[in-house]
Amino acid sequence: MSEWAIVWEARGAILDGFYNTLILFGLSVTLAFVLGCAFAYWLETRNPATLALRGFINCMRMLPFLILAYLLYYGLPSLGLRLNAWTAGLIALVVYYGAYFGEVLRGARLVLPEGQVEAAKAHGFTGFKVFRRIVLPQLIIKTRPLMGNLLILCLKDTAFLTIITVQELTAAANSVQSTYFVPMEAFVVVILLYWLISICLELALKWAGRFGAKRGFEHV
Amino acid sequence: MNGQAWLLLLDGAWTTLWISGTAIAIGVVLGLGVALLRMARIPFLDQLLVVYVSLARATPLVTLVLFIFLSAPTLGLNLDRNTAAILALTLNTAAFNAEVWRAAFLSFSREQREAALACGMTDRLFFRRIMLPQMVTTSLPGLVNEMSFIIKSSPAIAVIGIVDLTRVTNRITAVTYEPLPPILAAGLLYMLIVGVLIKLQAIAERKANRLAM
Amino acid sequence: MSDVPAVRIERLSKSFGGVEVLRDIELTVNKGEVVSVLGSSGSGKSTLLRCINWLEEPDRGSIHIAGQRIGIDASGRKMRNKELAALRARTGMVFQGFNLWPHLTVLHNVMESPVQVKGMRKDEARRIALELLEKVGMVEKADAYPYTLSGGQKQRVAIARALAMSPEVILFDEPTSALDPERVGEVLQVMKNLSAEGYTMIVVTHEMEFARAVSDQVVFLEKGLLIEKSDPETFFTNPASERVRRFLELA
Repeated sequence: MSEWAIVWEARGAILDGFYNTLILFGLSVTLAFVLGCAFAYWLETRNPATLALRGFINCMRMLPFLILAYLLYYGLPSLGLRLNAWTAGLIALVVYYGAYFGEVLRGARLVLPEGQVEAAKAHGFTGFKVFRRIVLPQLIIKTRPLMGNLLILCLKDTAFLTIITVQELTAAANSVQSTYFVPMEAFVVVILLYWLISICLELALKWAGRFGAKRGFEHV
Repeated sequence: MNGQAWLLLLDGAWTTLWISGTAIAIGVVLGLGVALLRMARIPFLDQLLVVYVSLARATPLVTLVLFIFLSAPTLGLNLDRNTAAILALTLNTAAFNAEVWRAAFLSFSREQREAALACGMTDRLFFRRIMLPQMVTTSLPGLVNEMSFIIKSSPAIAVIGIVDLTRVTNRITAVTYEPLPPILAAGLLYMLIVGVLIKLQAIAERKANRLAM
Repeated sequence: MSDVPAVRIERLSKSFGGVEVLRDIELTVNKGEVVSVLGSSGSGKSTLLRCINWLEEPDRGSIHIAGQRIGIDASGRKMRNKELAALRARTGMVFQGFNLWPHLTVLHNVMESPVQVKGMRKDEARRIALELLEKVGMVEKADAYPYTLSGGQKQRVAIARALAMSPEVILFDEPTSALDPERVGEVLQVMKNLSAEGYTMIVVTHEMEFARAVSDQVVFLEKGLLIEKSDPETFFTNPASERVRRFLELA
């Protein structure tokens, strides 16, 4: 069992990585969600730029996350913009998942009965207010399971950032295993930590589901 | 970028495709196996499979690839990079595919089985001729969707030094000192591959909707 | 050989979770006969039908299809699935919910069992299937998929599918109950034609006119008991049981 003891001794490094992953994940998911909502509102309006936005979202849906991270970290400096790995990684996560959140919300918007929007307009709501008070809350409640999937995907994609040298959880495992040569134990611990986060996410989403159920939204 | 660089890129794309393709092929069948075993509700094995699916869904592919490649030697296994990569991608995609197959099983109507039995079919014949073909059709959109996810996650195999379509851009940059063109070109190739899969998914969805009477 | 009844049911009983759904049912259906089974819902009439081809396993009693016992073999053991399937192949069943196989075209729904179960050659099965589809008026839809059909059309295809196995008896389980009222007639017409052609049929139904016009025997089930069995004329004008009289008044 001495390998496990070694990992325990190296817990400081692993916990540092764990915190970094949590911060990256929490920050990027929050910002991406806001960005996704902004995208969804943008798509509500009728102007030529929405076409460009649709194109951008579709691009993101077809690209691997790591390519975007590469673009920001390795590509931008040649345009004169040098970001450190952590910032580049965070921006990549926000932009990439902003597009995915936007797409999920757009899908739900397509099947939202138009009568509600008309009712709100008849009450004198303006465009943005209709979106913020009537449309968006419903979209969020209805897309909860899909949002949950996106959260888990985003959590997992933070691990890609180890490739562009961000010191997150997987990078921590890798450095612990290479220093003390305990690959199995180091990665088992780290995988369990990812599992722990995702289980907490699932529980939180289940709890959030009660919010929708109370309003008669969940028929499943 | 010159012709040499494009050749390198295509080589990387081929690596991405054959490794992902192998994992997808095994993963689709393995996923069906896991789903069938779960439907059988064998005690202990069932709980084990639930844990497997849950763990595989939560583990980043990068972490899984590193874990398998680095800890295989301590278990006395000697995996080369490609085998480790295929194993990791397969373990990951099989778990997602198992859920897709299982959803198709659970939504299958019992009445069709009775109609088959009433015509003199055995359960085996019913499964082979009536149930399985429909399960393939209903599962296909989900399976193809998972294929595009696997392609999008496949750059994870670069972490153990496989020169895939993402990693190859570093190689090209090391010679040209111009990172932007190869990365953009690689992005284009990914969009081509995933774009085809998204189209296929739309076709599969149209076919599957016909079954939902 | 010709005097062997198509179906012989003796002392058939069946319970679900302690509730007796069928008790000591006796019924003989001769070749070419049409038997209508009436009764209010929950009377056990569907269960009776499903016992005949062993979709439900009876607790007691015996069922013979054209002289051959179903479910229990000569040495008194329960039949293995294969033997059971072989006997089921000699009966046809038409369900309330059609239960067509959605991944197959109309033609292939009808061809599937003759080819897969009987091992019939494909061109032969196709020829027979087209003949049967002609008979139920669905031949022009042979290449359509079930999702494109109306309920009445689906049920007519389901009837052709049942006929394709040249069954000794066709079991109809409320074949018109799931149909729009204006679609009921087309299915009943097909069934009338079949009876005129001499097919043996057992029909669980709520269609009184059909039962009266087409049946050779009408039986009435009440709480799992067979309380009336007579020719249609007697059944509808002068039934022996008070319960049937009340049932007819309500209908």
